[in-house]
Order: sequence, then structure tokens, then C-alpha cells
Amino acid sequence: MRQSNIGWLFLAPATLILFVIGFIPFIYILYVGFFDWNTNAVDPTLRWAGLQNYRSLVFDTTFLNSLTRTLVFAFFVVVSELLLGYVLARALMADRLWGRQFFRTIHTLPIVVAPIAVGATWRLLCVPGFGIVPYYLKLWFGIDYNIATNSYHAFATAIVMDLWHWTPFVTLSLMAGLTALPKEPLEQAQIDGGNKLQIFWYVIVPMLKPVLLTTVFIRLMDALRSVDEIWMLTKGGPAEATRFIGLHIWINVFPKTDYGYGAAMSLLTLYVTIVLSWLLFVAMTGRKGGAQ
Amino acid sequence: MNSFVKAVGVGIISLGLWSSTALAQDSWWKTAAQPYQGAIIRGVSESTPASKYVEQVLGPKFTEETGIKVEFEATSWDQMYDKAIKDMEANTGIYDFVYIEQDIVYTYLARNFLVDITKSLAENAKIASPDFKPENFTTFLNYFKDPKSGDVMGVPMEAFIKPYLYRKDLFDDPAIQKAYKDSTGADLKPATTHEEYTQVAKFFTEYGADKELWGTTVQASSSHPAAFYEFFESVAPTFGVYNWGIDGTTFAATEANGGQMNSAAAKKALNYWIDLLKYAPPESTSSTWDEVAGTFAAGRAAQGLVYGENAAWIATDETKSTVVGKVGVALPPVEAGVMEAAEAGKGYIGYYDGGAFGIPHSSKNKDASLLFLQYIGQASVQTDWALAGSRIVMNSTYDDPKIVDQDKKMNGYYTLMREDGKLFAGAPPFPFHSQVLQVAAPFIYKAIVGEIKPDDALDQAATAAEAELVKLGYRK
Amino acid sequence: MRRSGIASFVLWICLTILTLLPVWWMLVVSMRPRVKLYSKSFLIDDLYWDNFLAVLNSSTFLQYLWNSMIVATSNAAMVCALGLLAAFGLSRYKISGGDNVFFWLITNRMAPPAVFLLPLFLLFTKWFVFGDFMLFDTKIGLILLYCVFNLPFAIWLLKGMLDGIPLELDEAARVDGATTSQVLLHVILPLARPGLAVTFILTWIFAWNEYLFAATLTSSAGARTVTTALAEYVSVTGTNWGEMAAMAFLTTLPALIVLGFVQKHIVTGLTFGALKG
Repeated sequence: MRQSNIGWLFLAPATLILFVIGFIPFIYILYVGFFDWNTNAVDPTLRWAGLQNYRSLVFDTTFLNSLTRTLVFAFFVVVSELLLGYVLARALMADRLWGRQFFRTIHTLPIVVAPIAVGATWRLLCVPGFGIVPYYLKLWFGIDYNIATNSYHAFATAIVMDLWHWTPFVTLSLMAGLTALPKEPLEQAQIDGGNKLQIFWYVIVPMLKPVLLTTVFIRLMDALRSVDEIWMLTKGGPAEATRFIGLHIWINVFPKTDYGYGAAMSLLTLYVTIVLSWLLFVAMTGRKGGAQ
Repeated sequence: MNSFVKAVGVGIISLGLWSSTALAQDSWWKTAAQPYQGAIIRGVSESTPASKYVEQVLGPKFTEETGIKVEFEATSWDQMYDKAIKDMEANTGIYDFVYIEQDIVYTYLARNFLVDITKSLAENAKIASPDFKPENFTTFLNYFKDPKSGDVMGVPMEAFIKPYLYRKDLFDDPAIQKAYKDSTGADLKPATTHEEYTQVAKFFTEYGADKELWGTTVQASSSHPAAFYEFFESVAPTFGVYNWGIDGTTFAATEANGGQMNSAAAKKALNYWIDLLKYAPPESTSSTWDEVAGTFAAGRAAQGLVYGENAAWIATDETKSTVVGKVGVALPPVEAGVMEAAEAGKGYIGYYDGGAFGIPHSSKNKDASLLFLQYIGQASVQTDWALAGSRIVMNSTYDDPKIVDQDKKMNGYYTLMREDGKLFAGAPPFPFHSQVLQVAAPFIYKAIVGEIKPDDALDQAATAAEAELVKLGYRK
Repeated sequence: MRRSGIASFVLWICLTILTLLPVWWMLVVSMRPRVKLYSKSFLIDDLYWDNFLAVLNSSTFLQYLWNSMIVATSNAAMVCALGLLAAFGLSRYKISGGDNVFFWLITNRMAPPAVFLLPLFLLFTKWFVFGDFMLFDTKIGLILLYCVFNLPFAIWLLKGMLDGIPLELDEAARVDGATTSQVLLHVILPLARPGLAVTFILTWIFAWNEYLFAATLTSSAGARTVTTALAEYVSVTGTNWGEMAAMAFLTTLPALIVLGFVQKHIVTGLTFGALKG
């Protein structure tokens, strides 16, 4: 290892860009968040508002609902993707699986599809009167599926769409983790007569923990961010059933030009995200469990 | 592809016409454009049939005559706003002319986004074309005048009413007429009252149960402003609730403060409209104006309120529509007394929609754009444009034999627009259009999906709209 | 074990059908003329190419496609260059506070993009303005911005690679009189080439797929990317689903083409190299 000054020199260009485009914006919204600022108001200039924006946010049910909805969505997709991904990873690793490479490639496909195209595709599938999903659900199962009137259907469709898009990632990363597991503890546990569930819970899960947590971390952050797919699928509807926080911020900042309030909203959302990722980060690195 | 071929075809025909008549004018445009040779002007517009015609025919034609290049982006309605407003707000100078929809012009005027066309032409006589005469336009031009000075701020490029379309073939079918008479005791004809409309819708939904046919279209997307617009601009007025129910001087929306948004009439209107969803095809709750036109063109609805910009292709274009020659037009059904009020000029029965091209202050090629706007504002280019986009902005266009002919194929849409256009009106002069829309629309969506009762939806929408108006500083 | 193999096979057949169904339906719709759109058949009735032709004949769409190419490629090149430099610094020098830099880099990538929309829009239109030039509505603006989201992962991916290159090779070159830049160019670069290729392709896909910022920070056809074209198209055409499907397919195509090359590295990329796929 060499001295650090020259090291910084190599880091400088990257750091500069990250600072200017990644960090200055934080400072700027911190500032704007203290003002009442709507360019379409009678007075379109910045007016000092102190903490008023934040005070209003705490009582803004639309905002709070949107935040809660996003967290519920993230929880559902992360848990189901983890379960599904684990089952699929095991299935893909099964001995004598014919065509493994083919299945793996097909399964990877959704990951590289642009979120906006995923949304467009699912809209083609699900839009009432046109898509095949409502048509065949009605024909075969008698279900009146309608993402434009039924909040639960829309919410569930958003989850299923996310499962389609991201379960493959979870499968692949869990598979990477499972392949790297040492064989001895497993064999030892089998010799000791543990049943499958016990082996899974007491042997595999602890060993897999770093991988599991990393995967959860990435998926959770991405689920909290999702905007594009939902925008294409439902535009946040029906009513506000799938208006996730990213979409809500966008609506407040652009069509409503409510800059001050939008800034406060952005900061609070960022705060929630950071707290969540910090908790996960601590879980990942802080405990002795399995992390190195 | 087909529409493109067709537009090009129209273009070639108009080129032929031009070469014979344009010789005299040729020199004027060339001379006037001399200093701007090689300039490029950029515009953004909503992708309507009329805009497409500008992109594919008028723009290239103008370039050929003047040497000024026209780059034209035709995009979706919401993106068009997004692009134009961001550009003008940031003062970027990307666009040299923008589409101004009738309902947003007040926002643009309030924020001084637009170049005063009358004044600019008076100051620079060299670029004032003798063929551009504001008095040629229909009264629709008045929406694009500065209320203070009366100066023209935009050149109308499309205008249409939102009429009541019905399936003439079904309404005229003797067997269906008999069935209707048997089941309701009344004669089958286009509805003039809301009760009749519902009755017809109900009948056709039952009749069409096994035919993929429903009683009516409803522009009731449960997450798109189109639903808000259909209710407040097309349905509420027929119940006597105008200007979204917002008082234009006190900016009150709730009945308690003198507004109308949650009045008894408004509530009756919303209940009627939501009730129609029972007789509408399943895509209605995700339909904007385009889907409504698509539904009607696919022959899935017996009647409906459809924006006039689509009337022509629905009635005449076989590549897109399955109901060519089967479309009738009429005035929307109204409550008692509303028609009289509209005739007396005290109200209106539907939406007179359209847009103009204006020049943003941030434009860097204002003179070249002025030339272009005057070019598309000549009487001589109007007819073919109307044929392509079913839009009419000048009185003289109505009399052109080609238009008279097309009017027949459309069962009198142009006649209706010409004679009864005065019964329709544009959106209210609100500079806070987008802000109030964003806070009030979610309650309409909730009513559509049945999350809340229509009455409550209007109460809450009115309260929210009023709060937003206070926040914006309009209402004290 | 044999039975589990068969069960897995059946499971995977079903799953493959489910995975491909949306993509297949997109293709089916893209090959339907407008008047046949409401048909519910799963099959392609006949090879109707007009939707594709209409999309490919649109000069605006082609312009957007071109912009996407430029933005994604420049961004990938820039990220690789800067990422390699930074990774070299982190891997070969002792830097105080390196761990903090790591966490900070991660937050940049993980913050909800919606949070950045307002400040970036205001900064791009009001602050980063130099005479007639402003970052708003430029490809350069997008290229720089995507660095914020792609650099962190590139740095950590490449750092992993460089850590794997024995330090002795550097030292040997230095003993032979090579300068630092020569070490970087002639020793590290050739050995890091596979890693750089993966980084390049993944960054390229991320930039190509991005929508929200492209939609917010650009406006004209001179800078907008292909994902925004698709979003614009939905409401433009209303029921013209055929063309929308064709456009969605064309948007997805480049990523599908490179899928084969990076398939094995996707997990590595998405987890910042924390997991090796």
C-alpha cells in the first residue's frame, strides 16, 4: 500500500461528480424545504415558512397513506420474492435437471427489461376490456378482475408484476450463495438425523445469512423506489390505490408545482429510507451471526 | 402507417393545388423570410390528427417556401404540457412555438409566457403577412386574446365540440326500434334528457349482452384527469353547473361559501354519470379521450360523448374504425332549463375544445416563428387541414365543397358545430387549472371506483379545491 | 433425487411459460392491425408489420433511439474510466476514511430517485447555467447524472477485480522503471479487461433502461431517450396498442441481445459485487 494523497487523486474525478450531482441537491432541498414556494401561486417567489411544511406533512393523510402503501408493497414483494426465489434456486440446482442453462437464461430475461417496458407489457396484459388476463380469468374462473376499479386487484397486480420482474434476481443471488456453501455442515447435520426443516432453519439459513441480507437490502431499496412500472400500469390508480411515494412526490413537484412542500416531502422520504437501510446495514454487519 | 400514407397523399394533393395558386404569394413569403434563411424553429404539440397534419404537410410546405426549417414534436397531452411548461418556466428556449390548449391559456397569460402576436406584427411590418387576418377566424380566437389589450396571443389550429355520437345503424334498425318500444314504451331516438339517455344505455346493454356491445361510453379513467374533465366540462354543465363549480370572483368552491362544486345539481350530475358505468364496457374505468374514441370506433358502444377531433376518423377511416358510415351526431342530453340558459348565453351544454400555437417568450427565433404561425393562419390552407383533422377554425372553411361533402359522410357534425357551436364553451379562465385539478380529481376517481359516495366525493373535492385556492393565495 | 429432477423440470417448464407470456403477448399485439385489437387469441394471426414500420418511420422515435445510444454508451465509457481510476486508488493506496466513502457511495445509489427530481430540475435549470448553455435538456446532463447512480457499483465491482490482481505484478513493473500511469495502462488495464467489459455492459443497460430522470430533465427530441418515447406513446395513441407494443419490443431488444453476455454477471452487478453470481 502506498501513501494516501495520490490515492485520493485517483478518486477525485469520481468523487467530484458524485459531490456536484449527488450531494449538492440534498443541500438545495434542505434549503427549499423551509419555504413556501409555488410558481403558480399569486406570489410565485420563495416565502419563508419555517417548519410549516414539515408540520403539515405529519397531518397529510394522502402523503402518509402513500408512504405506508409503499412500505406494505415493499414488505410483500421482498418476502414473496425471497420465498419464491429460494424454492426456484433449489429447483434450478436439482441434480439431473435437463436444460438448466436454457431455463436460467430465460429466467434472467425480465431483469434486463426496462421497467417502463415492463409496465407497458403488463398494461397490455391487464387493462380491462383489452388484456387477456381479465378475459381469461372471467372465462375460466369466473373472476371479475379489473385493475381500474378494484384497489386490491391493482395492488396485487403491482406485486405480481414486481415478482415477475425481480424474482429472477433473488433466485440467481440465492443460488450463488447456496453454491458457495460448504458441504460438511450439511452432511454432518444429515448424519445427526436432522429433518429437512431443521436443517434448513438451523444450518442453511445461518450460513446463508450474509447473502440473504444483501439480497433483502437491494430488493427493499428497489421496491421503495419503484415508479416507472406503476406509472405505466395504473398511473397510481384506481383512485390512489397504487400511488406509491415516488409517484406522489412527482405529482406534487411537477403538475402541482408545489416546490417547497415537495422538497419537504422528498427529505422526509429520504430520511425514512436512510433509517431503513441503516437498520439493515447494522443487521448485515453488526451481528456476529454469519457475516465475516 | 396507413394514416401516414394518407397524410402524405393529402400532402401531395395539396402540393398540386399550391403550385397553381401559390405563385403570387410565393414571392411574399420568400422575401419576408429572407433574413431567416436556414433558421430552425422547433415546436411541441399534442399528437392530434390536426397536429400530425402540421408535422407532415404544413411544416415541410413552409420550409420549401421560406427556407426556414420546422422541427415538430407531436406527443401525448400530458407530456406536451410537461415539455412546454418546463421549457417556458426554465427559460430554456427549446421551443419556438408551443401548443396552447384552450384551458391552459390563462395559466400561460398569468405567467407572461407568451409573445404578443398583434403587437409584434405591428412593430415589424416586414413580416406581417397580408394573408393573415384575425377577423377570418371563428369566435374561438377570442379565447386566445389577452383579456386586457385584446391582442392575439395564439393562432388557433384546431377547434371542435364534444358532441353526442350514436350508432345510427342501430337506432334506425326497425327490429331494434320495435324491441325498444316493447321494453320501454317509448320511441328509440337520440336522447335529449338524461333519463332518456340512461334508458337507451340500459336497453342497448341488455340487447348487446352477447354481442360485445354496451349502452354508452364513459370517459371515466380512475387515475387520469380525463375523468375529471368529462365530468366538469361535459356532464356538470348539462345539469347547470358551470366553471367546475368554482366562483370566478370569490374563488369559492363549496356551497357554503357560494360555490357550486358540491351543490345539489352537481351531486345529481355525478350520480347520473357514475350510474352510467353500469351500462359501459369494462374498459371505461381506464378510458381517457383516446380510449373512448377507440371503444366507439370498435363498435363496442351504442352512444357516447366523444371529442370531435376523433369524429372524422371514426366516421370515415376504415383502417381504424369498424363503424364507418354508421355514426350519427346530436347535441348532448340536458336537464330542463339548461338549453334555454345556453341559448341565452348564460350557460353552456358542453365543451368547445381546441388549441392554438403561440410563441414562448424564451424562443430564440421569434420572427421566424411569427412567419410560421401566420402561414398556418391563412384561409387557403384550412380546407385540407380540416379534412385531415376534422377541425375548423375559420368560418369560410364550412362553405368549402369538400367540407360540405365530408359533413354528409359524418351525418352533419360540421353543421352541428357551425350552428350550435355557440352552445358550447371552453374551460373557465383559471390560471390555477393544474393545481386545482390535481387536488380535486382524486375524489372523482374514488367515486368512480366506489370507494366513496358521489355526494361525499364532491363535498371533499370542493373542500380540497378551496383549501388549495387559499394556499395559492387566490382566495383570501 | 431422480424424482426431484423431474419435479424441477416440470416446475421450470411452467415457470418459463409464465416468464415468456408477457413478452409473447407483447409480440402478438404488436402484430395486430387496429381493427383486430380486441381479439383474445394467443396466436399471431399473420405477420403484420405495419406497427413496427410506423414506429421505425417516426423520425422522433429514431432520434430518441439515437439519443439513448449516445447517452448509454458515453455513460458506460465514462463510468468505466472513472471507476477504474477510483478502484485503482482504493485498491492500491491506503486511504483514510475509505469505509465512510463506501457507505456514502451506497446511499447515492439507494436513495429514491423521486427525491432527486426537484433539486436536480431546479439545479439543472437555474444553477448549472453557463451563458446560453444549461444542463437541462442536454445529453451531457443525463450522462453526468447517470454517473451518480452507476459509478458506485462500478467502483466496487472493479475494486473486487483489482484486488484479485497480485500486487507483485505492479511492483515488478515499477522495479523495471514503469511510472504509475504505465502500471495502470500496461499492467492493470489488460488484466482488468473482462471486468471492465461486464461493468460496461451492465452500466449500459442501466442507463438505457432509466426513465424517471430522463423524463424530468430533458424535454426536446434532441435529448430525450427511448424509454421516455414509450411513456409518451401510451397516452398519445390511446387504443393504438399495436404500435405501443411494437415500441416496447424495440425498446427491450438491445438489452435482450446483450443478455447472453452478461447473464452470469447480473447478480454481481446488482449487488455491487457483494455476491458473485
